[in-house]
Amino acid sequence: MSGPAVLELEAIRVAGRRAPRLDGVTLRLAAGERVALIGPSGAGKSTMLGVANGLISPEQGTVRWRGEPPARAGSGRRRRQQARIGTLWQDLRLIDELSVQQNINAARLASWGWPRALLNLLLPMDSAACAQLLSRLDLDPALLSQPVSALSGGQRQRVALARLLRQEPLLLLADEPLASLDPRLADELLTLLLLEAKAPRALLLSLHRPDLLSDFDRVVGLRAGRIVFDAPPGAIDPSMLQALYAGATAAPAGAA
Amino acid sequence: MRLATPLWVLAPALVLVPVFGLLPGLSHGGGWELIGQFAWAAVTPSLDPLVLGSALQGLGVTVGIALLGWAASLVLGLVLGLLSSRTVWRTLSGNAWPAEVIRRLLALPRAIHELLWGLLLLALLGLKPAVAIAAIAIPYGALVARMTSDLLDALPTRQLEALRAAGAGPIGALLTALGPPLMPQVISYGGYRLECALRSATLLGVFGLGGLGAELRLTLQSLNFRELWSGLWLLLAVMLSLEGLLGALRQRWAMPQRFVLSQGGVGRRGREMVLAGVALVPLLVGVARVLEVDPLALVQPHPLPPAPPVDWAGVAALPWPSLITNTLVLTLTAAALAVGGAPLLLLAVRPWGWGRVLVQLLWALGRLWPPPLTALLLLFVVQPGVLTGALALAFHNLGILGRLLLEASEAGGDRAGRTPAEQALEASGSGARLALLYGRYSSVASSYLAYGAYRADVILRESVVVGLVGATGLGSQLLEALSSFAWDQIAALVLAYAGLTLLGEDLSDRIRQRLLAQQHTGSSATSAIPGSPAADALPA
Repeated sequence: MSGPAVLELEAIRVAGRRAPRLDGVTLRLAAGERVALIGPSGAGKSTMLGVANGLISPEQGTVRWRGEPPARAGSGRRRRQQARIGTLWQDLRLIDELSVQQNINAARLASWGWPRALLNLLLPMDSAACAQLLSRLDLDPALLSQPVSALSGGQRQRVALARLLRQEPLLLLADEPLASLDPRLADELLTLLLLEAKAPRALLLSLHRPDLLSDFDRVVGLRAGRIVFDAPPGAIDPSMLQALYAGATAAPAGAA
Repeated sequence: MRLATPLWVLAPALVLVPVFGLLPGLSHGGGWELIGQFAWAAVTPSLDPLVLGSALQGLGVTVGIALLGWAASLVLGLVLGLLSSRTVWRTLSGNAWPAEVIRRLLALPRAIHELLWGLLLLALLGLKPAVAIAAIAIPYGALVARMTSDLLDALPTRQLEALRAAGAGPIGALLTALGPPLMPQVISYGGYRLECALRSATLLGVFGLGGLGAELRLTLQSLNFRELWSGLWLLLAVMLSLEGLLGALRQRWAMPQRFVLSQGGVGRRGREMVLAGVALVPLLVGVARVLEVDPLALVQPHPLPPAPPVDWAGVAALPWPSLITNTLVLTLTAAALAVGGAPLLLLAVRPWGWGRVLVQLLWALGRLWPPPLTALLLLFVVQPGVLTGALALAFHNLGILGRLLLEASEAGGDRAGRTPAEQALEASGSGARLALLYGRYSSVASSYLAYGAYRADVILRESVVVGLVGATGLGSQLLEALSSFAWDQIAALVLAYAGLTLLGEDLSDRIRQRLLAQQHTGSSATSAIPGSPAADALPA
């Protein structure tokens, strides 16, 4: 594997109510790598992404972001570390009451102090940068002043992506971003994400669609908190997928 | 330039600027030493068994008055609520106008603060335990009645019509169709009222109607701060256990935390509820025995001192414009301080876990510490006046609003109370405070402000209680008239008060409805401030 590591997880264990949610997970993402995370519901995909973005601290194992261990929660250094990790959430987590522009700018809160954060709630800030992002994502820049709650589902998805890019992260994490989209929108969003995830960036994305794996560099199969396989998409055959999803309650379309 | 939603929550705190500008001019600096002693006494309360014994006895009376006043208000409120329900009248007699008339009539007892009821009854009947109980039961009963009839008339009537069409009698049909969905909400609301009743009973005590309040006032005025804190800590313990108990019961019985019908799971364990209700009866009877409450005393007036001759010219000569202006300034200042102060404080202490605990303790003290006593305390360092009264009322209401803000904003959150949007911001490196402002205040803004509008209306009614510190408008004039038995002035002032309150209620109703309409057009998940139709009558 080439390139400096953007994310390293080593022997991660996260306890759960009955069984551990993650059990000895080790994964390394190098700059420029685009990795798909698949597995049945409850396999621990969201937990793994939570560990990767620092929201969940594992009981055992080590996390390293660009070679550094996470700093103490709440410290300035930790915030600078987090600022380089961008997450595209399954439920988007946009702030419905704010405008598109204010939402996109919310990604800068890590580096903005109070004055700019407050100004962003009063005046349109950094309009040029925000408009440029929207055009890059095929959205009309006129949407900037709209409240997020007035947008369609596909538009909201792109605004969330615009916020992610405005953050200028090095590690891109996405938790089943395609789950609630129709096939065309899902294809488009995935293409955009893969396009943005070039070195020095790296992408870790969980999904439920084995038919969309071909453009990733690696595919990681997760089952019951353990990594079952970690291979390039060409090396994945239907029997591996079948074994991964065997006995799962909700097998995704095309998995069989 | 347009204020974005989260800023609306903080905007009322701008009133701090003029307040801080005016305070230095008003302070007389003499009493800082006393304030220091007072604060120090908080950690060194008197443990003298004599002091504790008398505080406990006072506390018992206060709790007893609260319990009895509360129970009476529930009974009264349920009956009057049914009588002022349009649905009930339509089902029983075919037309709804009597409901409308009764509803209008109930506005008057509701508009008069329990302290005013207490002082009026005290003047008429003399000092009897029943007076304090009636003072709580009358306005609370009218509030519960409004709440009940609002809830009742907001329920869908399809089931009722179906039962009637199938030949059920009117009373049976009403009970079957509307009873089950109504009860959990009434019980949940009733619980909140008990918390309010404890606060009101303490306040009534401050004005000599019995219980711990009197001792709090005496110890404050005689500067026995250590003894004062002994009573205060005991009271705080009782209030927090009561709030905890009621919260736990609401959860166990799956009662609505906010005043919205949630689907499924509302009102579990019916048998337990009935048992709890039945167990209350002997408790209430016992308390009434111990306090020697005689309901008949309420119809036996005591000999009044000879009333001064009625002097309407004197009434007209009162400085009405300034009285009313002062009252309004007092109300708005206190409301803005409380509404804006709670989110500002929460924001200030957000990064520190212990900060939240400290703020919660401060708010608990604010809730239970009667505003006139805060006002007396403030008089050690500032001159009497509108601002002093406003600060005292603000501190009290800050405690109530703060608790609601915390409950509501943490309802959909993780273990630390963070909403998903807030988590997302923190995960992208923003500081805890900015994440709170952007990610949490955005979603609670409209319902919090809607509750704030209701609160302003309560504060208007409450402004009479800081009349003690003088020059605070209608309140102080009224207390003066009461002490000199000037019935003509009392009548005029009470009516002015009630009229103002009703106007304020109407105004705050409109503001609240606009705010809530705004919220419902947004697609966001609504947060949990009790702000929907009938929530207006929350803790007074």
